Amino acid sequence: MTEYSRMAKGNYVVSGGTLGVSAPNVKVINLPFKPDFVELINYTQAATPANHGIPFAWWDASVPPLLISGVNYDTVVDVNTSGTANNTDMVKVGGGISVFSGGLSQQFGPAIQVVSIAKSTSPTIITLAAGHGLSVGDTIVLRGLFQSSTTGMPQINGIPFTITAVTATTVSINWDSSGSNYTALTGSPVSAFLYKVLFPFLYLPEDNVISAITLGNSTTIQTTMYHNFEIGQEVAFRIPNAWGTVQLNSLPNVIIPGSPVYGYVTSITDNWTFVVNINSSAFTAYTDNIAVASVPGLTFPQVLSVGDVNSGGNVSGLTSTTLYPPPQFPTSTNRVGTINGPAIRGAFVNNTSQGFIIGNAASRVDASSWVGGSNGDVMEWRAYYHDLSIP
Amino acid sequence: MLILRDYIISAASDINAGGGGNGFNPTNLGLTDFSLVATTLDTNNAYKFMSGIEGMDRFGTGPVRSAYFMLSSTELQSDFDQLGASGGISFISQWNYPTNASALPSEYGSVANIRILTSSEAPVARNAVANALGVLNDLYYNTVLGKQAITHINQDGYSMNLIYRDPYYSGMLAQNATLAVKFAQAQAITQDTAIRNVLSTRLSNLGV
Repeated sequence: MTEYSRMAKGNYVVSGGTLGVSAPNVKVINLPFKPDFVELINYTQAATPANHGIPFAWWDASVPPLLISGVNYDTVVDVNTSGTANNTDMVKVGGGISVFSGGLSQQFGPAIQVVSIAKSTSPTIITLAAGHGLSVGDTIVLRGLFQSSTTGMPQINGIPFTITAVTATTVSINWDSSGSNYTALTGSPVSAFLYKVLFPFLYLPEDNVISAITLGNSTTIQTTMYHNFEIGQEVAFRIPNAWGTVQLNSLPNVIIPGSPVYGYVTSITDNWTFVVNINSSAFTAYTDNIAVASVPGLTFPQVLSVGDVNSGGNVSGLTSTTLYPPPQFPTSTNRVGTINGPAIRGAFVNNTSQGFIIGNAASRVDASSWVGGSNGDVMEWRAYYHDLSIP
Repeated sequence: MLILRDYIISAASDINAGGGGNGFNPTNLGLTDFSLVATTLDTNNAYKFMSGIEGMDRFGTGPVRSAYFMLSSTELQSDFDQLGASGGISFISQWNYPTNASALPSEYGSVANIRILTSSEAPVARNAVANALGVLNDLYYNTVLGKQAITHINQDGYSMNLIYRDPYYSGMLAQNATLAVKFAQAQAITQDTAIRNVLSTRLSNLGV
């Protein structure tokens, strides 16, 4: 029985989280297969048992989740409670161990009702119900942001945003919604929903929507999603008339007809902000104060990578792996390597991947314990794909 | 094909359709959307894929312009059928070309300087758009491209290998064969000005 089975193991040091106090960071394990069984051994918690520690955990794709009080649970854990006494507990579906396969675009999470959005300069803060489960770095799309048929914030419907900050009931996005054409959303409008884009960066750097432009001797661009650019990246702009700064557009070029106008990234401020070497001092100011009546057919201002220095070829000096250093994204902070090797310069990074995720939801009974451990713990994982499973 | 499809919708720039009348953003595809994107690519000096088809003395046919290709979903075919005529342009079914000699098997028809190829594998984001009443619509990615827009590069000196191992070699019990495709490939947009994704919704939900 070894025709199709797969086995893999590895270990890592847990990042983030404090034992019994806060959750660790979500851990993504990329594998060349999607496992049907995963087990975890927290060596630190096994060696020095402490209250709320989880030394062992298991997940099996073949066992149906258990429904308890309206919530499905699928990850079984051993948890130290009342000192070092050992009990069993469970973690809800998606918050413990779960698998993923990011190979095709257009995969979305469930729709989440938008409760309200206040008008604000950037960032705009979206209020949701508690338990939204979203984190900084998640990419979302909004739809149906109407307070009435002619008011609300439909200007930002359909734009992908990478979340910049979260609280228990809010997420923040890069957008200035303080303009006169925006109306606050209140009372959970019937059409207003948010949903998570499960695999937003399969091919990098991606076409991106611009949320702000600062004019000057050089031009500072803020995007709605992680831009994933490296210094030296050549970029082009597509800015429709309604958004103001049309002089950045790559065509038409009034100086050299037929030759596109491109800029180069000269510095990176953060995951959403970068500077290009275009003197825009005399350009028209950027505006996102678009009338609601103009929304049907409204095309968004965009920036995209062009030229021969796309991030696919930029692999030097980054974290090495067994074979070769992969490209890492996003390009500013919290960088994570792709599982795919360096691409050809001028090509784009293929970031498709599969494997499993160790989530950051608390256990059901002991809500102060987390399957992912706490900062500094040594965690071993073992993942399997079986030839035969009954059922 | 799916790799290139997802790569294009990730990396190429977008135009939201505004020529239709369904009130969503983007709207359903209207004649002006075809005209706008063809004009954009023309202005950007993109190369067309196909030369025109001269008119002939055959009932119900009409000449076809030289054209770019648009890759669309089969689910939009009913929308194309309902496109009327405006400003001298209209939808011409592939069956109404003066001659079908140059038509591709997946070709549905043409509008202005665009010939439409449809596929069930075209990218669609289900229920991604809503109006004020909460009515949902699907979001379609219609890629319009000139000849020089994209390429893929086969790496390491080998192209694509089709691997087949019969059951005898795949396992000692000879129960299962192995069939796989292996390739090392990178994608590149060779000319970003010669490609656009025209995002659209659908005129009506046909329950497809």
